[in-house]
Amino acid sequence: MSSLFSRRPDGDKLLTIACLVVPLIGLTLFFLYPMFTVFIRSITLADGGLGLQNYTDTLASSGFWRATRHSMSMGFTTMIISVFLGFIIAHGLHRCSFRGKWIIRSVIILPLLAPSLIQALGLIFLLGRNGVINRVFGLELDIYGFWGLTLANTLYAIPQVVMIIGASLVLLDARIYEAAEMMGAKPIRQFRDLTLPAIFFALLNAGFVVFIVTITDFGNAAVIAGDYSVLATEIYTQVVGLRNFNMGAVVGIMLLLPTVVSYYIERKAMARQKGQLNSNIQPFIPRFQAGRDIPMAAACFFIVGLIVAVVAIVIYASFVKLWPYNFDFTLKHFDITTAGGYGSLWITIGISLGAAVGGTLLIFILNLGLLRLPAAISQTIQVLAAMPAAVPGIVLGLAYILTFNSTSTPLYMLYGTATLIAVINFYHYHTQAFLTVMTGFRQFPKALEEASGSLGAGLGSTAVNVIAPFVSPMLVAVFFFLFMRSMVTLSAVVFLTTPQLNVAAVTIMRLDDAGLTSQAAAFSTCVMAVVALALGIMKLILSIQSKRSTRSA
Amino acid sequence: MYLTVTNATKHYGSFRALNDVSISIEKGEFVCLLGPSGCGKTSLLRIIAGLADLDKGDVQLNGQSLLKLSARKRGFGIVFQSYSLFPNMSVAENIGYGLKIRKVPADQISARVSELLNIIKLPQFADKIPGQLSGGQQQRVALARAIAVNPRVLLLDEPLSALDAQVRGELRDEIHQLQRSLGIPTLMVTHDQEEALALADKIICMNHGVVVQAGTPHELYHKPATRFVATFMGTSNMLSTAKIRSIMPELLSTRPRGDDDQYDACIRPESIRIVDNPAGEASIVSIGFLGNLSKIKLESPLGNLIVEVQGATHFKEQQKVSLDIALVDCIWVANDVLGTAE
Repeated sequence: MSSLFSRRPDGDKLLTIACLVVPLIGLTLFFLYPMFTVFIRSITLADGGLGLQNYTDTLASSGFWRATRHSMSMGFTTMIISVFLGFIIAHGLHRCSFRGKWIIRSVIILPLLAPSLIQALGLIFLLGRNGVINRVFGLELDIYGFWGLTLANTLYAIPQVVMIIGASLVLLDARIYEAAEMMGAKPIRQFRDLTLPAIFFALLNAGFVVFIVTITDFGNAAVIAGDYSVLATEIYTQVVGLRNFNMGAVVGIMLLLPTVVSYYIERKAMARQKGQLNSNIQPFIPRFQAGRDIPMAAACFFIVGLIVAVVAIVIYASFVKLWPYNFDFTLKHFDITTAGGYGSLWITIGISLGAAVGGTLLIFILNLGLLRLPAAISQTIQVLAAMPAAVPGIVLGLAYILTFNSTSTPLYMLYGTATLIAVINFYHYHTQAFLTVMTGFRQFPKALEEASGSLGAGLGSTAVNVIAPFVSPMLVAVFFFLFMRSMVTLSAVVFLTTPQLNVAAVTIMRLDDAGLTSQAAAFSTCVMAVVALALGIMKLILSIQSKRSTRSA
Repeated sequence: MYLTVTNATKHYGSFRALNDVSISIEKGEFVCLLGPSGCGKTSLLRIIAGLADLDKGDVQLNGQSLLKLSARKRGFGIVFQSYSLFPNMSVAENIGYGLKIRKVPADQISARVSELLNIIKLPQFADKIPGQLSGGQQQRVALARAIAVNPRVLLLDEPLSALDAQVRGELRDEIHQLQRSLGIPTLMVTHDQEEALALADKIICMNHGVVVQAGTPHELYHKPATRFVATFMGTSNMLSTAKIRSIMPELLSTRPRGDDDQYDACIRPESIRIVDNPAGEASIVSIGFLGNLSKIKLESPLGNLIVEVQGATHFKEQQKVSLDIALVDCIWVANDVLGTAE
């Protein structure tokens, strides 16, 4: 009898260990080790010794300085403009009263469903040498360079600004504004005294996120920067073109700096918001005020219109005969044979499915393992699991090529395989996926697990029969999140593609490089169609799930 | 009449929150709007504050309509259930905010703020931020903030509901004293009848968007007009006309004319006297000892009754007793509640 009773806890313990070991080995091998490698490479000298020579060399190189200067001024300009415009939309959505907000809410995610070079592509159709504007007005505007890149990145970054600022605006308590109103404060005064202090950290955080995303983003820069060299393209040229791995490592490490600062600010912002969350918040329901709301609505729709237009024009251009001369409908651009044809699209779908399936599974068992751990150990692992978000995709890509392109370890086997691309996609988005599922586990009532345990169920059957159904909406969300991000991401994977193995976003870049802009547009349209389909399926599954759970409740 | 609301009607979609409501507040008066949740009391307060619009009716102060005046310009003070202090300002800045808006010189503001901090007994908290204060302390600051500018009317929206019992009692007494000493006309919304009884000069009892009865706490407790008011203002034994006629017909003499189901008898638990009587028709079912009083449940020909006596009682469960109800303690109330009394 006693052996029968003691078997179960032992089985649970084994399962807990197994649940932890696999994801932790993964994190170590595919995140910590590459990051460590990039650091070591940055201080490894040509003769094999250690030193800071690489840093001094890099800092002394004029190419590096020019790219840094360019990246800084472009990143800073993008940050100012996109935080300002994003703030207008967030403020319009949350604190003004006008119709059609659902339209803004539903189309603003558009840039996140396409590779981050779509804005550049759209701008070229619009403002390029053969763009509509130049043709119609007979102008000679040159979109390539600083302004083209800044504009493209701004349009790409605004949705993220809207989300960050919106998340803090939604926490503002209506009663506080009513109190100020009763005390005689005018709206502008309320904004200055109440809103601005409350969203200060969100504004700062949005600024940093935009800055980091734009200086580390590869796609738009590759398409529209032209001769204007920026860090992202410079690294790519140095590492992939010139095999200058040490400089790549140095720049990779240096690109981590702004992220560390941003991480710190985000933590502070979250701590501050937590402090304000204790009282029950009355949501703010704005009353219509023509003087405020009509201009705000116009501004919001105008900005969102721009964001949508640059994406929509790419889709439109993929269906017309000869941009911008002949707008007759055609499907000929979809007949793509160069740059590997549609092969890379199918491979990318495969990679994305792999990252989604494997990633969701790993995230689930990691959270399951954490369930039975003492708080101190569990928190350490949580910090580790949340770390990848601090590493820009381009740095992670660099770290991977430095790690897996080296024949000194058996990991070299993975180099050049689709598996490695699926792996990098998963670890690139590990944090967001982990946090989503962790939120689900946190909401899981402890009593339910204990009830299941007291009925004699072990951790394994509790996980499958009780926990998994409970967190299934989060698992579905994470699965599709990983799939959609893997379909469109560029900056991490661009280092790992080979002539034999391409992904969709890279193919689009190659097509554009080859001057086949319309085919690049057609390929982009295909990628967006796949992602939109995935998004639709996800919404469908989630709505069926929520219907089912409300019916059973 | 200082502040009046006349024929106020308010809809939220198809839901009628207020239906032709008229109330008034005299200078210096403490008025409580009392009723269950959803009765329209908070809507009425928000309309008076200017935070919500009226569909029909008028709000007047000193005979002047306030409808065209925004909340900002009415010069009223408000305290919410959720404290709602400005989280990014210190306690002193919170209290002085209204004065700062009115461009009062800084030295006068700080003098007024420290005066108010003394009144609310938090003189050492000037530089703290609201997050560092307890709920009761925050609500004191909210009160000081509301009265700092000498408002023409003070509006309190369930100010004590979020606090625990002990703090609630203390703050209730402080609000009472403060209002008496400052003489600010005050309108408080509450669903707690005890709070209303303790604080109000006048209670306005509301249900389903209409005023059911308005009067002094004494009137509402001892002369409830309807069954709803009687049951809302404390415990009561509701007895049907038929029961009274067959068991205690002498109580019928004060009954207004009307059909049997139009009026019920309301007898407060403390008004029923019970006497030892082995031959009595009532028997004691249970005795609950609550410290200051005992709650005795009886089975009697009148039905199940609740009787309250001061302190402990010598009665025992199962004991037979006889009942004594004075004519003045039998209150006939209009039956405004669906279903009839026992």
